[in-house]
Amino acid sequence: MQIRNFSIIAHIDHGKSTLADRLMQATKAVSAREARAQLLDDMDIERERGITIKASAVTVMHHHTPGAAADDLEENDPAAPEGEAALTGGDNAHGQLFMLNFIDTPGHVDFNYEVSRALKACEGALLVVDATQGVQAQTVVNAYLAINENLTLIPVINKIDLPSARADEVAMEIEQVLGLPAEDCIHVSAKTGIGIPQLLAAICERLPAPAAPRFTQTRGLIFDAQYDDYRGVIVYARMFDGSLKVGDKIRMMGTGRSFQITDIGKRTPKPVRVPSIGPGEAGYIVAAIRSLADVRVGDTITLDNDPAPEALPGYKPPTQVVFCDFYPATTADAKGSDFEKLRDAIEKLSLNDSSFTYIPVHSEALGFGFRCGFLGLLHMEITQERLEREFQTEVVQTAPTVTYQVVMHDGSRLEVHNPAELPKPGTFDEIREPICKVEIILPNENIGDVLKLCSERRGVFKSQSVVGENRQMLTWEIPLAELIYDFYDKLKAMTSGYGTMDYEITDFRPNDLVKVDILINGEKVEALALICHRQNADFRGRILLKKLQKQIDRHQFEIPLQAAIGGKIIARETIKAFRKDVTAKCYGGDVSRKRKLLEKQKEGKKKMKSVGRVDIPQEAFMAVLDQGE
Amino acid sequence: MNGPVGITVSGSGRGDGSLGWTSARAAVAGGHGPVRSLYVHTPFCVHKCHYCDFYSFVDQRDQQGAFVERLIEELRAQAPLASGAPLRTIFVGGGTPSLLREDVWRRLLSEMNGLFDLSLIRSGAGEFTVECNPESATAELLGVLRAGGVNRVSMGAQSFEARHLRTLERRHDPERVAEALDLAARAGVERRSIDLIYAVPGQTLAEWEADVRRALALGTTHLSCYNLTYEPNTAMTVRLKRGEFTPVDDDLEADMFELAGALLAERGLERYEVSNYALGGIRGGQACAHNLAYWRQESWLAAGPSASGHVWAGPDRRAGGHRWKNAPNLGAYLAQSDGGYAPVAEHEAPDRARAVRERIMTGVRLSEGLDAAEVMADAEAAEPGSGTRLAAAAAELEADGWLASASGRWRVTARGWLGADFVARKLMGCVGVA
Ligand SMILES: Nc1nc2c(ncn2[C@@H]2O[C@H](COP(=O)(O)OP(=O)(O)OP(=O)(O)O)[C@@H](O)[C@H]2O)c(=O)[nH]1
Ligand code: SF4
Ligand SMILES: [Mg+2]
Repeated sequence: MQIRNFSIIAHIDHGKSTLADRLMQATKAVSAREARAQLLDDMDIERERGITIKASAVTVMHHHTPGAAADDLEENDPAAPEGEAALTGGDNAHGQLFMLNFIDTPGHVDFNYEVSRALKACEGALLVVDATQGVQAQTVVNAYLAINENLTLIPVINKIDLPSARADEVAMEIEQVLGLPAEDCIHVSAKTGIGIPQLLAAICERLPAPAAPRFTQTRGLIFDAQYDDYRGVIVYARMFDGSLKVGDKIRMMGTGRSFQITDIGKRTPKPVRVPSIGPGEAGYIVAAIRSLADVRVGDTITLDNDPAPEALPGYKPPTQVVFCDFYPATTADAKGSDFEKLRDAIEKLSLNDSSFTYIPVHSEALGFGFRCGFLGLLHMEITQERLEREFQTEVVQTAPTVTYQVVMHDGSRLEVHNPAELPKPGTFDEIREPICKVEIILPNENIGDVLKLCSERRGVFKSQSVVGENRQMLTWEIPLAELIYDFYDKLKAMTSGYGTMDYEITDFRPNDLVKVDILINGEKVEALALICHRQNADFRGRILLKKLQKQIDRHQFEIPLQAAIGGKIIARETIKAFRKDVTAKCYGGDVSRKRKLLEKQKEGKKKMKSVGRVDIPQEAFMAVLDQGE
Repeated sequence: MNGPVGITVSGSGRGDGSLGWTSARAAVAGGHGPVRSLYVHTPFCVHKCHYCDFYSFVDQRDQQGAFVERLIEELRAQAPLASGAPLRTIFVGGGTPSLLREDVWRRLLSEMNGLFDLSLIRSGAGEFTVECNPESATAELLGVLRAGGVNRVSMGAQSFEARHLRTLERRHDPERVAEALDLAARAGVERRSIDLIYAVPGQTLAEWEADVRRALALGTTHLSCYNLTYEPNTAMTVRLKRGEFTPVDDDLEADMFELAGALLAERGLERYEVSNYALGGIRGGQACAHNLAYWRQESWLAAGPSASGHVWAGPDRRAGGHRWKNAPNLGAYLAQSDGGYAPVAEHEAPDRARAVRERIMTGVRLSEGLDAAEVMADAEAAEPGSGTRLAAAAAELEADGWLASASGRWRVTARGWLGADFVARKLMGCVGVA
């Protein structure tokens, strides 16, 4: 039996998950009865949003005729074994037996880290490009991630069933931009199945087999993990050297902890138990691991009685670029159990998503919570949603900020992830902010608008190059703080959805940055403070106050809202006292209804965060996000 | 509502689905007599007004006869709760009660006179109100009503401006109001009240003042002034959401409220409840005794689809009462009868803490306010510690100018009228709400 390990990578929505569906169906891993669209997107959020968030690894069995350009699919053979049964067996009339371990990855920028992790467990990758959209920003980024890992790439042009497909042009784009020969592209439709026999043949022919083991000792890379209430931590590993079987005593080389394997299996995509996994294979391992701290994604598994002399390279930790605080939404009771529940949820989630960071914080207004770091805004939003949905917590989130470097008088540097931590004016020399290299691919006709947007966002033009007939790639330097808000939305709107972008932090540069404090009823609310460029401070302050004015209910007294830099007020608004809080009618039939309504309103108040005598709704803490026009 | 009514009675559902509904019998049977008030609901209207969330509809099938027979059956079932004691108040609302034909009214009134003791009402010490629409209040009808014991009408004028009536999709000629009131006076209906609605989109303060003055000019001794409320599931609310008009702003609405109070006070009509004004206030004899029964947590019976009743569970009022609401569905009402009782949509069993909260809610809306010592003691009995919390909350409200405490009573201040819900939430939150 031969083995092929590969990832499916692409720009968002180019059809990776749908292609994974076709591969599982073609190999009879999934019967027509069990099939459903984007089967591997099994989280609710993934299905609702129609995007992949987590990479999923699957093992399927395929028969390939060596040298053939297209394979004879088991799908069309009623006698071929199906699902679990297909896992065993050997060569047959359909050809030689191949075990294909593949990973469907997310396409959105924020989940790039998932892609890098997947790639480390593979020798090859299918680079999927939508035949109607062509090469997009994440196509380029993901292709380079794979090339840098020395993976073999198969370019796949997808959606050729669509009337607007321009497969040949796209093949030329791939050649121009990425240097992959146009004739190497496999043309498929993940929807109708055209080209799948050719693709499967190419996977077996062109992708390399796993390299021969380097050590006699066992080494497996943990590329994912998940917490299960009954079985503890479930670890997903790719074996590079040696093998693992049920009963083995394993050791995590990084944490040094040892466990006994109780279960090994593969997702086919249904979890199926197997007695062992050998070199080049991937699978999941259950070993009664109860403590989350004992497992780290990127760690190497070896055998306790014969440990490997050195660990696998593992993963470079990702750099979080956006920070915000999470607090439990309900007023913490005396025991702080809401906080403990949130901590537990965050710890469990971080096992499944090792790319966000968290440290405990305390805020005057919001109590105990966590300062968390994310790879982008969508990542932040998804994390909050997963915490609420998968762990039944309710989270109040503060507005996101970037990391600032403060250079103190003595030359020391301080990293600030929260405006509240900014030292007092006069105690430091300068504030530096993260600057990104931004690459934007867009249609020619929108260039004017987008150039304007970039310069409004304090950007510096770097270069411009041609991508195919009608599109260009712009390179700009733009402060991250200007990108994280609605830059991407604006770009999408200006380009009717055709513009795509990618960014990476290249530098920290000093700028005239100030902290804008927000005072509600005379009290400074740190959770609302923001750092911005001095020239935008008045504007940002005013927008924020206007937003707060709308979101905070009128109280029984007038509430002044102020924005200030240092002691100087730069903007002010007031929320007038309410004059009227009474309903007209309360007759015999209204008593129960009205009573319930008043009680509900009272309950609603309890969920608000109060600063002094002012009740602030949770959305208000996100008000800072609105840049206004 | 259509089809089988999804009726629930807390704690007494059959669960086997065999009957599929529960009747008001459970609630009324748990009640303690004698009950001295009665509400009757008639569901028919000529047209559905856009702001209306009462259970009412346009009668296209002539169901009046069937409705009244069924109503009589229900009244007969409930009558024993009055234990033969004379009724103090009756209120027939809707819907548009004046839309019932005279023969139907004659039949209903004759049965009511037989089933209940109306002596107090007939002597003038009791009150029997019928809501009337200016168009359908004819001399003949008013004559029939008066002969049957009716001594008070509540006239739905809403506005004297045709433009505002159109906005509300309320169909009557504003000029008819004076005439209808006159007919009522001539029929011998002694007490006549007028209903007005303000804060209609597009209405100015001056227009509202004109409406109030016109109502006063008709010599009324009782006025109800409601600000237009956007109830869920009404055409008005749908139109608001569609952006067809801008609602009157809160401050103007507050100005209108205060203006009405001032204008009416000049003429001796005192605000005795948030939206109600009577010559001489509660003590002047013109206040609506039936509504006061609601607001003082008395017992009352209720008949007709969607009608809500309340009966004390025992002689100790602190134990609370049963509240129920008949299903708002004429079809179900006509089709289902449990020994006369109607299908119910809701039933709340007695609960001490809830009873205190309800008393606070309606009490703060009254000029007479709440008996502080009594409400604190009752709260304390319902939930230890809540009496002290109430005292503290009241003190805070007093310090902020919402409430005044005098002669052992808590009453809203001039500012407090406009914050009655705020005051109620704050006080109610002290009693038994986890
Ligand atoms: N017509 C057509 N539509 C396709 C094809 N492949 C995928 N699609 C559609 O394209 C959309 C995106 O497909 P997905 O498979 O979710 O794309 P993805 O690359 O996994 O997306 P992310 O995981 O969010 O990056 C879906 O609506 C699919 O039905 C194809 O070959 N032809
Ligand atoms: S007349 Fe009264 S009950 Fe009938 S629809 Fe109009 S507001 Fe509603
Ligand atoms: Mg996907």
